[in-house]
Amino acid sequence: MMWRALSADWLKIRGKGLWFLVFLGPVGLIAMQGVNFGLRYDYLRNQYQADLWGGLLRNVSDFVPVALYLGGTLVCSLIANIEHQTSSWKQLLALPVSRTAVFMSKLLICLLLLVVSCLLLSAGTVFLGLLLGFSTQPIPYADVLRIGFASYAAAMPVIVLQLWLSLSSRNQTLPVSLGMTLSLLSLFSVFLSEWIPLSWPSLAWNAENPWLFSGAGLLLGVIVLLPGALHFARKDVA
Amino acid sequence: MKDTVIETRALLKEYRGRAAVKELNLNIRQGEIYGFLGPNGAGKTTTIRMLLGLIKPTSGSIEIFGRELRRNKLQILRKVGSLVESPSYYGHLSALDNLEAIRRILDVPKPRIAEVLDIVSLTGEEKRPVKGFSLGMKQRLGIAAALLGSPELLILDEPTNGLDPSGIQEIRSLIKRLPEEQGITVLVSSHLLSEIEQMAGTVGIIREGQMVYQDTIAHLQEQAAGNLSLAVSEPEAALVTALRRGCGGELQEGRLILPRMSDARVSLLVKELVEDGHAVYRVEEHRQSLEEFFLQVVGGGQS
Repeated sequence: MMWRALSADWLKIRGKGLWFLVFLGPVGLIAMQGVNFGLRYDYLRNQYQADLWGGLLRNVSDFVPVALYLGGTLVCSLIANIEHQTSSWKQLLALPVSRTAVFMSKLLICLLLLVVSCLLLSAGTVFLGLLLGFSTQPIPYADVLRIGFASYAAAMPVIVLQLWLSLSSRNQTLPVSLGMTLSLLSLFSVFLSEWIPLSWPSLAWNAENPWLFSGAGLLLGVIVLLPGALHFARKDVA
Repeated sequence: MKDTVIETRALLKEYRGRAAVKELNLNIRQGEIYGFLGPNGAGKTTTIRMLLGLIKPTSGSIEIFGRELRRNKLQILRKVGSLVESPSYYGHLSALDNLEAIRRILDVPKPRIAEVLDIVSLTGEEKRPVKGFSLGMKQRLGIAAALLGSPELLILDEPTNGLDPSGIQEIRSLIKRLPEEQGITVLVSSHLLSEIEQMAGTVGIIREGQMVYQDTIAHLQEQAAGNLSLAVSEPEAALVTALRRGCGGELQEGRLILPRMSDARVSLLVKELVEDGHAVYRVEEHRQSLEEFFLQVVGGGQS
């Protein structure tokens, strides 16, 4: 049942600027590093000469959490808006499909779009590295994949929360402004305790045990998912 | 007797202590067009949302197709098509894609889309984005979406709201066709009596969340048929005569008020009264329009 809902959602996201957003995030990050490395090429190449790819990845990674939070917020809000706009909830939820399936389908489509973003980020990083002539050193594929996905897993609690808030009310002011605030705060992750989930995407790259934070993110994501799905399944549809 | 399709018992919905729908007992039988009538804010939409499981009743029970709604929601909704208030659509998609998105959830065969487009005569417009549609076309698309799953029960909330006369006419004839051609039971709500009168066989009138009238349209018209008013010299004695003749009737402000009867009976009664020595000053027929009767029923609280 959820697959049927997902296939319907897949159709609905057309022409809503979602795909544009999905491409904008990684392309923007890579372009920023392109400028960074382009302007200070000799200095940075010199600084990272032992591990050129590692240096590039470190520079990209600084902005991955904020991009993930911002992108997640906007994707969730846009997805929710497809149904809010012409109050299609009453039509959708009067169809023979369970509320849980609808909620899970919305979540999956958000997650899927962000997966595409993360893949693009990895691909873009390799592309930029090759463009900068780093091919003299072997490409660290594992780290290249980790750059997006490790932080992504750690950002799960916030993404799930954002989707829940976006789906809950027609008014998107609260979810979007909360998402923006969290994105900005995440820039200061270094000053936050590791017990605060907001800092996990950054720690999932930097910490000594990065997998711990990715795992914790996934776990907490599932925990936030339960009340979200339950609330969505029970609420009155206006 | 035909099967009951929708039956609600003592349905109650409260919003912060204020009852939007109270003690509502709906009874809709198979194959009929049931007109759900009431002024704006009477609780029609609230009731319909409860029937579709969009909102939960505070108390009371809903049975559709003889099964409890809450426990069999998905099986029931599979056989129900609905259009609630303003049309829901995805403006950025074409009519075809709008229906396709619903079709994927309903899991009906693809050719069904062309069928329903044909039923609501939108064939030829299906490739255009829906945001460029007129309200009437959006409404028709909404009905097409409701018909997509070949429902046995169609619930339409104010389907003609905001349409121009020709649009109203079109939707009306469409709705009237459905039970005849496809054996669908239709629940249609409106705040316009004339609307319901022209479509429905049975009517339920709701006021301030309570059902104040539920019967066939024919019976409603009968009730609203009006009465005969006689001004005579000795009303009390005349009443006795009228009652003896089995005409029924009562005294109001010194006049004899009788229910409507045939011309022959009127002439007989008048003849007898004259022969009894009454002076008959006036014989008037007062015809109450259905509209007046409706206002009397829904306005009962205020006047």
